[in-house]
Amino acid sequence: MVIFILPWKEKELKELLLINMKNHIHLLSFTLFFFVSCTSLEKKKVAENSTKNSIVISDNHSKEKTELQKSIMRGKNVYSGFCMQCHLPDGKGVPGNFPPLAGSDWLTDKRSESIYAVKFGQTGEIIVNGVKYNNVMAPMGLNDEEVADVMNYIMNSWGNTQDQMVTVDEVKDVKK
Amino acid sequence: MRYFLSYLVLLTFFTSCAQQVKLDDIPIQEEVRNYSIKTFVSGISIPWGMAWLPDGSMLITEKSSDLIHFINGEKLNITTTFHDLYIRGQGGLLDIEVHPNYLENGWIYISYASNEGEGDGGNTKLIRAKLEGNTLTQVETLYKATPNTTSGIHFGSRIVFDKDGYVYLTIGDRGNNEENPQDIHRDGGKVYRLHEDGSIPKDNPFISVAGAKTALFSYGHRNLQGMTIHPSTGKIWTHEHGPKGGDEINILKKGANYGWPEITYGLNYDGTVITEETERKGMENPIYYWLPSIAPSGMAFVTGDKFPDWKGDLLVGSLKFQYLELVKLDGNKVIARQKIATDIGRVRNVKIGPDGYIYIAVEGKGIERITPN
Repeated sequence: MVIFILPWKEKELKELLLINMKNHIHLLSFTLFFFVSCTSLEKKKVAENSTKNSIVISDNHSKEKTELQKSIMRGKNVYSGFCMQCHLPDGKGVPGNFPPLAGSDWLTDKRSESIYAVKFGQTGEIIVNGVKYNNVMAPMGLNDEEVADVMNYIMNSWGNTQDQMVTVDEVKDVKK
Repeated sequence: MRYFLSYLVLLTFFTSCAQQVKLDDIPIQEEVRNYSIKTFVSGISIPWGMAWLPDGSMLITEKSSDLIHFINGEKLNITTTFHDLYIRGQGGLLDIEVHPNYLENGWIYISYASNEGEGDGGNTKLIRAKLEGNTLTQVETLYKATPNTTSGIHFGSRIVFDKDGYVYLTIGDRGNNEENPQDIHRDGGKVYRLHEDGSIPKDNPFISVAGAKTALFSYGHRNLQGMTIHPSTGKIWTHEHGPKGGDEINILKKGANYGWPEITYGLNYDGTVITEETERKGMENPIYYWLPSIAPSGMAFVTGDKFPDWKGDLLVGSLKFQYLELVKLDGNKVIARQKIATDIGRVRNVKIGPDGYIYIAVEGKGIERITPN
């Protein structure tokens, strides 16, 4: 798409925009619509997720932030510092390289294995949503609370749901 | 027609948000495998650095702490005393290099994430030491970046010796791009130049700037995990992990600013814009940038006579696409790109061995060797 810009220099482009703005206000509004929908896509996704999270919270009928909500918030920071580079902000991972976390059957079916992987790293073949992955996730060096927090974030994001929150004690019990 | 065209311009203008397009890019060619790739050392989880001793044996660092001596087909674990090793996120045991005059002085250089010093967390450290039997001894700290931070990202690091006896070290921005890369008074997001004993060269660029980190050679970097010396010009070439769609190849100039995060071709991981600027006076532009990002790690020029068609070209490992990339060069200009070792796994490092063959460090595997047919 951008190649169409090429023949115009910035000044010419501005002139062109000004002339045509008067005559083609309907076109302008159409393009603006495109623009807005494009930029807000990510925000929309985030909004969807926070709606989901807030459903969990409202179940507890508490004005205070619940332990789970606090854990998810801390977990989000852990995620962006340690996981996002590979599993990406949308948790979809990279096919063939890094398995998805969003909608992952491995995450729901293998809870303690998932905690183990975050705590001690993951090596060897695993099958996630029917796709084989055989890479190495290095031990991240997270403490037990960070492991619990990021598990809670992952298990409550991108449409994932969790029956029971991951506690520090549960992480402690997962041993090498 | 005129209205139609201008409409197209408008449409393009407004829909090009966060869409990255690189005009006249050089597409990567598929592999033509007229060489063989075989496992050289197996069973290493995350091989990071590799170097050769004069006897042809190999030293390999494994990220989570093992220093491996591969000699006579056997993997021996070298006993180390890195009590301050900080395993966190991308941090751990990182690069290794053997002094060019090893036969005379016996020095081995190693970089790793260290929690030494004040404050929680860690930062990148360069040491040198000697190998006595199976033990690393006489460890000397040459550089330790500050402050310690619990951030798990962007430690760098690569070690390279140039032809004048300087040792270069890269340290990533430690995830603090707001404070580190553009500030010469702070560590992180920099390339460092030291004498072999860790002392600061008197002609380093910021030696006379009050309070500056005098070990700096260049700044404005993000996370450099590839550095090598050009075989004929002697210049230091680096690449760095940029943000999404902003991985770069740079040729280092003393005291130069490589722009991060003021200028970049990349976007944030979530697609949001970091800066609209891709160039600015006083800042260096890369000689090439990758779109999409390949997540480069390891960098070597092809030397020797084993691969005559590739001589003088650049090899770069791709963590993301799990191949080795051959970057064909005409001087400083990238003219073609080709996949090598397609689907081999995450390529963490690449070097030309003393035998002229290509050695690549592959995560989850170990060291693979490429030999011509």
